[in-house]
This record gives sequence, C-alpha cells and structure tokens, in this order.
Amino acid sequence: MQKNFLSNESFPLFLQGLAASGDLHGPVLTDDGVMAFRPICSPADIQLDCIRTLIPPKKYFFPPKEAILTYSPVKGYQLTKAAGKKVILFGLHPCDLAGIAYLDRVFLESQPDPLFVKRRKAVTLIGLSCEPDEYCFCGTMGTAEPQNFDIFMHRTEAGFYLSAGSSRGKKIIRRLSVLLEAREPPSPVPCECKIEETILQAATRGETFSESRLWEDFAGRCLSCGACSLCCPTCYCFDVQERGRLDGETAERLREWDNCLFKSHGEVAGGHNFRKTREERFRYRFQHKYLGFGPMRGIVSCVGCGRCRDVCPVKIDLMELFREKANIL
Amino acid sequence: MTDMTTIPAMATITEVHPLSGDTSFFRLGLKEGEAQGFTFTPGQFVQLSVPAAGEFPISLAGSPGHGRELELCVRKAGHVTAVLHNLRPGDPVAVRGPFGTGFPVERMRGNDVILLAGGLGIAPLRSLFHYFLEHREEYGAITLMYGAREPSAILFRDELAELACRRDIRLMLTVDFLTEEPAGGPVCRVGLLPGLLMGIKLRLDQTYAAVCGPPALYRCLITELLGLDFPENRIFLSLERRMKCGIGLCCHCAVGDFFCCTDGPVFSYDRIKEIPGVI
Ligand SMILES: Cc1cc2nc3c(=O)[nH]c(=O)nc-3n(C[C@H](O)[C@H](O)[C@H](O)COP(=O)(O)OP(=O)(O)OC[C@H]3O[C@@H](n4cnc5c(N)ncnc54)[C@H](O)[C@@H]3O)c2cc1C
Ligand code: SF4
Ligand code: SF4
Ligand code: FES
Repeated sequence: MQKNFLSNESFPLFLQGLAASGDLHGPVLTDDGVMAFRPICSPADIQLDCIRTLIPPKKYFFPPKEAILTYSPVKGYQLTKAAGKKVILFGLHPCDLAGIAYLDRVFLESQPDPLFVKRRKAVTLIGLSCEPDEYCFCGTMGTAEPQNFDIFMHRTEAGFYLSAGSSRGKKIIRRLSVLLEAREPPSPVPCECKIEETILQAATRGETFSESRLWEDFAGRCLSCGACSLCCPTCYCFDVQERGRLDGETAERLREWDNCLFKSHGEVAGGHNFRKTREERFRYRFQHKYLGFGPMRGIVSCVGCGRCRDVCPVKIDLMELFREKANIL
Repeated sequence: MTDMTTIPAMATITEVHPLSGDTSFFRLGLKEGEAQGFTFTPGQFVQLSVPAAGEFPISLAGSPGHGRELELCVRKAGHVTAVLHNLRPGDPVAVRGPFGTGFPVERMRGNDVILLAGGLGIAPLRSLFHYFLEHREEYGAITLMYGAREPSAILFRDELAELACRRDIRLMLTVDFLTEEPAGGPVCRVGLLPGLLMGIKLRLDQTYAAVCGPPALYRCLITELLGLDFPENRIFLSLERRMKCGIGLCCHCAVGDFFCCTDGPVFSYDRIKEIPGVI
C-alpha cells in the first residue's frame, strides 16, 4: 500500500518540504482581520480552519489589475511577461478548486491567454477538505468532490490523507514520502445535495425565471458595490484601459476586474446603455453564473463557495430564485 | 505573421478625410509581413488601437479584397475616437482581428439583396455593398436604402452620387429633415428610412435583407419588414454592444446567451427575436 497519511506532528515538516518546490502560500488571518491567501512565513500562521478567504484564489492567475501589453513607437505592441514565479498554493477547498477548473476552461481552452497560461503553470494546487458553514452549498453545486488538484489533503483528527491528482503532485508526494505512512483512508461521506437537481434542470432548459418577483426585490436592495463578483472565484469579466507613460511615447495596456452590476458595464458611446436598470444587470449576472455565454453556454459556473452570500451587505442571494421555484424557501 | 488576436499589428494611416461633421474616413495600411493574407467577411470588425489612448471595435467598411489595406468610417464618439481624429497620414495605429461573424455572403449568393442602413450603420453595409458589386454577376437585384438625419450627415456622398448612375443596382436615399441641400450630392427623399420600403416589390422567397443602424431604427424596420411578410431567417442585423476584447473573454457584450463579438455581431432575426431588450 502506498504511503498516504501525514500525521499532525509531521505537518510542519511537510510544509517546509513543500516550500522547497516554490513560495508557499495559504490562508492566513491578515492584520485587518480578513482571511486571505498570502505567503506563509511560519507554519503556525496557516489557518487550517479557514472557511473561506475574502478574495478567491483567482488572483494568482488573473490579478485584479495587470499590464497585458506595452507599446513603444519602435517595437509596437508587445505582450508583457508574467513573472511566472513558482507558488505552492495550499489550502484550496473543493469549491475553489472547481472555480479554478472553470477559469481553466475559459482561459486555457479555445484561445489560451498567454498571461494566464504562464501564471497557471507556475502554481501547484494543494487542496484541503473543509467543513461547510451556513453560506456554503458546494454539495448543491456538485463541486464537493475535489477535482483539478495536484495534491488533495483530506483532513481528519489525527492527520491528513493525501492523494495526488497530477504527475507534479505525485512527484512531491514521492519526495516527501519519508514523512508519510500507509493507512486505509476513511470512506468518503456522501454530500447531501438538496436542490442540485433543480439547479441543473433549470440550467439545462435555460430557465431565466423571467416571471419571478425576486428580480425587483434584488434590484431594489442592491447597492451596486460590486463585492459579489470581486469575491466570486469564477467571475472574470474585465475592463481594459490604456495609459500613456510620462515619456509621452510609450504606453501600457491594463486589464482590470470589472463588475456586471456596475452601470457602465453595458454602456456604449453616445450614452446608450443596454443594461440601464439594476434589474437588467442582475439578470445578466444570473445568466452568466447559471446559464453561461458563448462557448460556456450550459455550464453552471457557481461553485457554491458562499462568498457572495456572505459578503453582500444586503444579503442578496441568487439561489433564492431556485428555492422559490422548488418551494424550499 | 504575428498573432493578430491578442497582439495588435501595427498599421499606418495612409488617408484621412471628413465624411460629415463628426465622422471621418480612414484608410490604413497594415505593415508588410505582419498581416500577410489579411482578409475578412463583410460585417466583421476589428479592434483598432490608438497608441496611448486605447482600443475600440470598428466595422471594416471597405471591400475584403484589398489585402493589407483597410477602410474605416469612424465617428468621434468619446475618448479614443477623439484622439484618432487628431491623427494624420503617416501616424501609427494598430489592429487586432478580424473578429466576429459577418453577413452570410455565401448563403445570399444567387438571391436578391436589400441593404438597409441608418446613419453610421452604412459602415459595415458599405463593405457588403462593395463585395456585391465586385461579385455582381453572382447576385440578383441589389438595393441599398440609406437614411441619414440631414443631407450633410449622409456619409460617402460623392461615392453614392457616382453609384447612383449605375443601372444594375438600385440606390435609395432619404433624410429625416431637409435642411440646406449641399450642391452635388445624390438625390434623396425626405422621410424616415422604413418609409422607403413602402410600395417596394420584393421576391420574398429569394431576397435577403441586411440591416445596420441605431437600436430605434431596428424596431421600426423589423416591424415594416415583417409587415411585408419578409421571412425572419432572411433578415440579418448587425448589433452593437460594449466590447473590450473581441474574443469572447471580457463578458461585456453578451446578448441572451450569445457573445455579440464572436457569435455576432451579425445575427439573423429569428435567432435573437426572443431575447428581451435585444434591439
Ligand atoms: C461591432 C461594432 C462595430 C462598430 N463599428 C463602428 C463603425 O464602423 N464606426 C464607428 O464610428 N463606430 C463603430 N462602433 C462604435 C465604436 O466602437 C464606439 O463609438 C467606440 O468604442 C467609442 O470609443 P471611445 O473611446 O471614443 O468612446 P468612450 O465612450 O470614451 O468609450 C470608452 C470605451 O468604451 C467602450 N465602448 C464605448 N462605446 C462603445 C460602443 N458603441 N461599442 C463598443 N464599445 C464601446 C470601448 O471599449 C471604448 O474604448 C462599433 C461598435 C461595435 C461594437
Ligand atoms: S456566485 Fe457566489 S456562491 Fe457561487 S461561486 Fe460565485 S461567489 Fe461563490
Ligand atoms: S454584493 Fe450585494 S449589494 Fe453589492 S453589488 Fe453584489 S448584490 Fe449588490
Ligand atoms: S467583447 Fe469581450 S466578450 Fe465580447
């Protein structure tokens, strides 16, 4: 039998061993009291019980603001070079792994985005099992089953059961096998998925809940603060800006996270806005999360991490649409 | 050839001339080597970069047969287009594309075609019109109906005046208001564009319509066309949306579950008619 068990006692050494493969990052509690993926200075900083970070791991592959092109009169436009520094990202819950899998489909599949490719390759994903709180619904979204990891660590009282999901993960486990022992892993507890069926059926038939009164309710309460998409692991829409540099000759083109609940999102020159009302913007967000656009049509992109429900200052929750339909409010 | 999808290819402005108070014609030459074999379908667009100012989507307004030479018709509408309007021949710009789905010229072959343009909507339809003229014998009756606010707002006036003399096409112009008539312009009527359709004989089962203009125009033109029993799947519209990437990534341009930048901008009416707020 393969060595797969890491005891709590060996955990700090294991982290040290991981750090040999790249900069170790994981969930820590910042000085201003939020959970965030940050560089780990000492194993004691890691928040193993972290339920969710405020900002999802997407920032590692798709930073909030980045230069995508540079311009100079001599060289014209050129791609910028992403740093590509090796990072070991520890503590990814199944929902966050599913979120990364979704972004992989968007940015790596049909037209690979050069910057995303570079950053994504440089990051090793170490998953960690978790205990859901009242905001989570990964079971509902079918994302409770871990996917898209290099190593997944199933946490129990005595320690962690490791599984490798890639050759990179296998290599690391092999390298650190002196810290491991062989044990029979506990059988997985099936997740309760109360309304997964409802959501998947609704998504398959392209349900837009056009008659629901909830849209009006959402639109009436929403503050357009944008927190819900900022913190969403699968929201990736972006704005592009070009800035001339002070030399008056060269320039930089930046892409920056945008938000579909902002009024400017659907506005075109001359002031016409294709999503003038907040209600229209909510429907757009719903459509993107649950029904998908273009090649991602039919793919539900909400992974049930619960961040948007948690951070929304007025507690708006798109899931209510499904619950209303299924009569399980 | 560089990858013109993500990296803008450099081009030089070779000609600029005003078409109306706020709109100018730009001819660009893509740098040799960078854009070998650049070609497109009428109705497709490019993302035009103005160094240090930004990038915006713009219809290709010329015939696809001109290789590295591109023709654009740009209205000064905001920040980037204003900077472009200050540029002169010899100045550098850059191009990504071509992007999107254009008009189905193959499917239209052998049929009559009617092009309906309102205002700036003439830009992509000029490309289509020139394409038809270059392949004249492959298409049936060709009609261009073009409406502008007033005579001085008619774009490509000289070109249209010349085309008006051709016997193998039908050209109908109209203006909303008749102010002073500029000397030498083509003959035009007074009234709204949909009015031109009244009393027109169309072979409904052998005609395609291509429409481009502001949203308000679509609503009345579609009503008019459907009133004539024009089949919905033979009406093609070019839609405008906010666009940032042109490749289905930035998520600004969705209509229903389509991306306007990749699935469109040209759609047949039957595919989009159920989408709330589409036009
Ligand atoms: C497929 C397509 C074809 C077009 N063809 C033409 C054409 O042939 N001639 C022409 O004059 N105009 C055309 N437009 C409109 C043109 O893109 C806008 O006028 C232009 O983006 C305005 O940019 P700006 O920076 O000057 O304005 P600002 O209002 O300062 O806009 C800033 C940014 O917002 C976005 N934006 C603003 N308005 C629009 C808009 N209408 N459509 C898409 N994005 C927008 C752009 O990314 C732009 O860079 C077309 C638009 C689309 C979508
Ligand atoms: S929509 Fe909300 S719950 Fe779903 S993935 Fe995004 S932030 Fe998480
Ligand atoms: S977090 Fe809540 S209030 Fe803020 S934009 Fe999202 S739905 Fe609106
Ligand atoms: S322009 Fe970015 S998705 Fe269409």
